[in-house]
Amino acid sequence: MAISVKVMRRPEVGRTSYMRATLKGMSLTFKHMVNPTKVTLQYPEEQPDLHPRWRGTHRMEVHADGRPKCVACGLCPTVCPANCIRLVGGEDDQGNRYPIVYEIDEFRCIFCGMCQEVCPVEAIHVGRHFENAEYSRDRFVYDLDRLMEQDHPTTLLWDPSDSRSE
Amino acid sequence: MADNGRKADTVTLTIDGHEVTVPKGMSLLHAAEALGVEVPHYCYHPGLSAPAQCRICLVEVEGAPKLQPSCVTMAQDGQVVHTESAQARRMRQGVLEFYLVNHPLDCPICDMSGECKLQDYVFNEGREHGRGREPKRVFGRDDFGGDVLYYGDRCVMCTRCVRFMDEVARDGRLTVVERGDRAVIDTFFESGLDGASFAGNIVDICPVGALVSKDFLHKARAWDLDHTESVCPNCSQGCNIDLHTRDNLVQRLKPRENPEVNGHWMCDYGRANYEWLNRPGRLEAPAVGRGDKRRASDWQHALHALFERLAEAGGASVRVVGSAFSSNEALGALRALGEQAGTLQAGVFRSRRAEDEDPLPGFPILVRRRDLAPNVDGAGILGFTRVGDDDGAGGLEEAADHDGVLIVVGDELADQDESFGAKAGLFVYLGTFDSPAARNADFVLPVTTFAEEEGTFVNAQGRVQRFRQGLRGPGTVQPAWLVLGTLLAALTGGDRPVSAADAFASIVQRHAAFGGLTWDGVGSAGAALEAAHA
Repeated sequence: MAISVKVMRRPEVGRTSYMRATLKGMSLTFKHMVNPTKVTLQYPEEQPDLHPRWRGTHRMEVHADGRPKCVACGLCPTVCPANCIRLVGGEDDQGNRYPIVYEIDEFRCIFCGMCQEVCPVEAIHVGRHFENAEYSRDRFVYDLDRLMEQDHPTTLLWDPSDSRSE
Repeated sequence: MADNGRKADTVTLTIDGHEVTVPKGMSLLHAAEALGVEVPHYCYHPGLSAPAQCRICLVEVEGAPKLQPSCVTMAQDGQVVHTESAQARRMRQGVLEFYLVNHPLDCPICDMSGECKLQDYVFNEGREHGRGREPKRVFGRDDFGGDVLYYGDRCVMCTRCVRFMDEVARDGRLTVVERGDRAVIDTFFESGLDGASFAGNIVDICPVGALVSKDFLHKARAWDLDHTESVCPNCSQGCNIDLHTRDNLVQRLKPRENPEVNGHWMCDYGRANYEWLNRPGRLEAPAVGRGDKRRASDWQHALHALFERLAEAGGASVRVVGSAFSSNEALGALRALGEQAGTLQAGVFRSRRAEDEDPLPGFPILVRRRDLAPNVDGAGILGFTRVGDDDGAGGLEEAADHDGVLIVVGDELADQDESFGAKAGLFVYLGTFDSPAARNADFVLPVTTFAEEEGTFVNAQGRVQRFRQGLRGPGTVQPAWLVLGTLLAALTGGDRPVSAADAFASIVQRHAAFGGLTWDGVGSAGAALEAAHA
């Protein structure tokens, strides 16, 4: 298929003035100088205000005595669509069911938040947090201790009576 | 009038608008089951008596003044039954609410979760929200001894466990203590269930999580387990079982119903002995060369070299050592290969024997047999002779000093020393684990365990039973029937077996005792051998 070129007819140079368009543009520029709209955030001095239902890396809630709240029921690995949770249950010295191994591969995680939604004891949460950089890949598999150490705020659960979080 | 004879045997009734004809004397619950309608029930179990005390299987029978318990009401001609009428549903919802009055709802930490009948029924028909405001009574848990833990809070008092111990094990060690909401199941004395050899079955028949296995406690969730039809490998009774596997490991064994062999039950000895299937450190790749000259190889090279050695050895005297843990297919192929490779002097196997048998009094067909291996009878039929003592040791003196061709399949040679097979012209070891006695083997070929392959065993009743593959074998392991069958085909110029069904067909062809059996005919329930064997 041949390429056709459409030639635009324009006024000849010297027979038109660009003054009006230039003034229009400059007026917008000066308007912003007088009354600026800030877009750039001075990160990291300034932190963004994350939405209450922002879903970031996980966090495990703990009891007052430092034990994880998780009872190893196995619902989060079952519901996880990315299959990123590894859980091995066992019994602690007080006869309670607890997770011997609880690992989340944050690389594989798609941050859907279903683990938080399904948890019957409100142990695992996704967090309002985004600074996850590490120096090695294996640090992205969070084990139980790491999940319990995380202290960022947790995501609000979806509330059917307030479906838009307002 | 010719119909009279038939009419006497069957009755025709209507359940939920569908007409069904069932044998006379069948309960409404089973008649509904024949239609595919499941009537909820707790206290009724097909292997036990029916006390009709759980009150959840009540159904509406037209003409009856009130709801009838379907587990003990016999089907009658012309009956019209409604299992889903408003009255029946309202009653079930009410009964379920009573069950939940004191139930702790601890499904997240309960091992029964996922296969619990209370969970299922409440999910299907229960109230959306509980109305109870009073505190629930708490019992905690009780160690019944043996492998059994009792959580009184979860119990629905169906008394299946009590009746199992009374009627089937005939060893009344359990009873209901107290009454009303304080009722619990308890043992009589300190010993509890210790020493009872069939008590593990009460965990299977418990419809809720009140009785759980200590071995399986918190180990895996029920919905994560894959179920594979198999045969218990721990004695020659060959109870039909399901292998429950997860992460390529056997997590537990559960009995599978077969009225000809084990009913609904299995013994605790069989149930507890599965860890050997998960043992690490297996042989994973073929190796060629004797002693210090042993080198890792692959199947193609190893089998080529072995075939050449066997072809050279033609006419030599051959001794084969089989195992009562090997399938009929492997043992049949081993025998045929031994006969093909030269003059077969003897085929032997060793097997551990318990001191006595352990029958289940209420179901006398089921006996924990003396032979603690699944295929002792199959090995006998296929021409192998038992040697050695009751510990499965000794008896291999002739094989150890044999100077011809020596083929060992499946026997770990645990009691033999490094001189085993030193004089053999050709020593082939097909096994799952390396062994000091396999040091002199010219070929070490890794094979699968019974859980990693398909095949058949012959149990003590002379019944051929199939097992299916539940695990993936490590490395490049191959089923022994495939390795031996391939060598045999190469020596005879025939077709090599490509499936366990092929291997089975070839033993049917060679051994009259298997006459008339087909792979599909054996199916999942097994098939009896010709009476000639028994």
